[in-house]
Amino acid sequence: MATMTAGEKSPDWQQAARIAIFVFAMVLYLTPLVSAALFGFTLPGKGFTLESLLPTLSEPEFWPAVLQTLELAVLTSLSSLALLIPTLIWLHLRSPRLLAVADGLSLIPFVVPAIALVTGANLFFRAVAPSFLVSVYSLVPFYVVLTLPLVFRALDAGIRVIDVKTLMDAASSLGAGTIRAIIQVILPNLRTAILNAALLSSTYVIGEYVLSSLLLHTTFPVVIEETGQTYPRAAAALSFVAIMGTWLLMLLLSILTRGKQIRLMSVGAGNLAADAR
Amino acid sequence: MAKVGAPAADGSFRRSRRSPGGLLRGLLRGLLRGLLRWVGILPYFVFIAIFLIIPVLATFWSSLHEGGKLSMGSLAKLWEPQYRNAFETSISLSLLTAIVGGVLGLLLAWALATTTRPRWLKSIVQSFSAVASQSGGVALAFAFIAAIGTQGVVTGLIEQATGWNLTSAVNILSFFGLAIVYLYFQIPLMAILMVPTLEGVKSEWGEAAASLGASRWQYLRQIALPIMMPSIAGALLLLFANSFSAYATAYALTGGSVNLVPVLVGFFISGNVLTDTSFASALVTGMIIITIIAMAVRALLMRRSTRWLQ
Repeated sequence: MATMTAGEKSPDWQQAARIAIFVFAMVLYLTPLVSAALFGFTLPGKGFTLESLLPTLSEPEFWPAVLQTLELAVLTSLSSLALLIPTLIWLHLRSPRLLAVADGLSLIPFVVPAIALVTGANLFFRAVAPSFLVSVYSLVPFYVVLTLPLVFRALDAGIRVIDVKTLMDAASSLGAGTIRAIIQVILPNLRTAILNAALLSSTYVIGEYVLSSLLLHTTFPVVIEETGQTYPRAAAALSFVAIMGTWLLMLLLSILTRGKQIRLMSVGAGNLAADAR
Repeated sequence: MAKVGAPAADGSFRRSRRSPGGLLRGLLRGLLRGLLRWVGILPYFVFIAIFLIIPVLATFWSSLHEGGKLSMGSLAKLWEPQYRNAFETSISLSLLTAIVGGVLGLLLAWALATTTRPRWLKSIVQSFSAVASQSGGVALAFAFIAAIGTQGVVTGLIEQATGWNLTSAVNILSFFGLAIVYLYFQIPLMAILMVPTLEGVKSEWGEAAASLGASRWQYLRQIALPIMMPSIAGALLLLFANSFSAYATAYALTGGSVNLVPVLVGFFISGNVLTDTSFASALVTGMIIITIIAMAVRALLMRRSTRWLQ
């Protein structure tokens, strides 16, 4: 009934304005995407074709770059989880007071743009361990750092909901050791939070350009950029695939976090994207 | 004289009550317990120190040293016209996209927060906004070139229909072209940030104001806006920082023809211009300081805004 009266009270022009705003927003969102698909997958007088992609697909560095990007996404997700899950469980069980400290630390990347971190990394690691940045896997710890504000929050929110202490007590009263209790009781209860965190990491890594290009590693976005120098149509096609891929991942994410989505987004919104930009 | 001896007497009193060994053992036990509490956070702390804090501090340190000596030379160089211009361009691009994106995003947030009737339309727009607010980077840059670049699809359609060339008004590779691309994520970001705030504005406040004889405009100006102001300003600061630190989109789109700080830093790192690390560090230090100011003011504002809008 309340919504009915609210609906009745708002004048017609307001309803019309809302619809107009929605239509405008959807046109804005879809225009670049549809344009990229049309520009990339059609040629004048030929209709749909994959022809413009051929020079890129035959490039020897293309498939290795795609595989490497996927590998980095998996490694970053796993490293984040390996670092944060034990830390968070420890903090919740043993020293909840330090949670605030850990939380504060996880927010530092908010004020350090990716371009700033890559400058510092270049400076410090070239001086201390010159061969470190040569390996493509050296990107992983920096990706973990840059996704920290979001991933930390996603996992922490998951742990807060399940009441680790009670679960651990219950498990140990049934005779499970600490490790066994974590693996068989805590982790299964964190499924959604873990998947959530992994999706956030992967979305970020798949689009990451700043660190990989400036540290001279050939990842998927770097290939798109290089392709764009000579074959704009191929770059548009690849961009379409990349955008669709990340959008699907994010829609999956928003289905997983239904309800919590807005809060999570408004805490971290912008940060993830700003670093990928 | 007696007073001078007092601390000694006091000390000996304490010593007589507790042996030095016991005191030491107690201290050690306390220390151990404290340390144990920190053990769990240690790997996390060491990780952040190595891969975030030390590199950032190294940048600060390097910006304050030239040729191994303490010097303000690099930081002073930021005031030279071409570099000051980069900061000015970056700041104006960020201000422009934050304000325009803020106003349009607020409208979109209003539409999302107050719509009840076509639910499906609302949820589609909300999902797309959430996703678009996180888009960006190289892929978005090329998608926009495909849309409104010189050979772009939209450019072509408009030229066919009206004979007018869009690129004569908006060059995608220029400052304003870049602003349009940034608005693609700034508008939905503002909307996503503001929807919870707008939903927190209670309809009772409007009814109460109306019953006291306030017009809609008076209600908006004297009640709704003042309540929302801290969170609007906070969101605008986030939008500012968001566009200020963007590198990939700007580089992929303009390749450096627009003089922006992040792009300039990129040139220094890749060694395209020169390899003055101290000056590159100074540029980065300037960037971090501006971002810290924006985010710190935002944090203060957010603390104020949560009072009403819970």
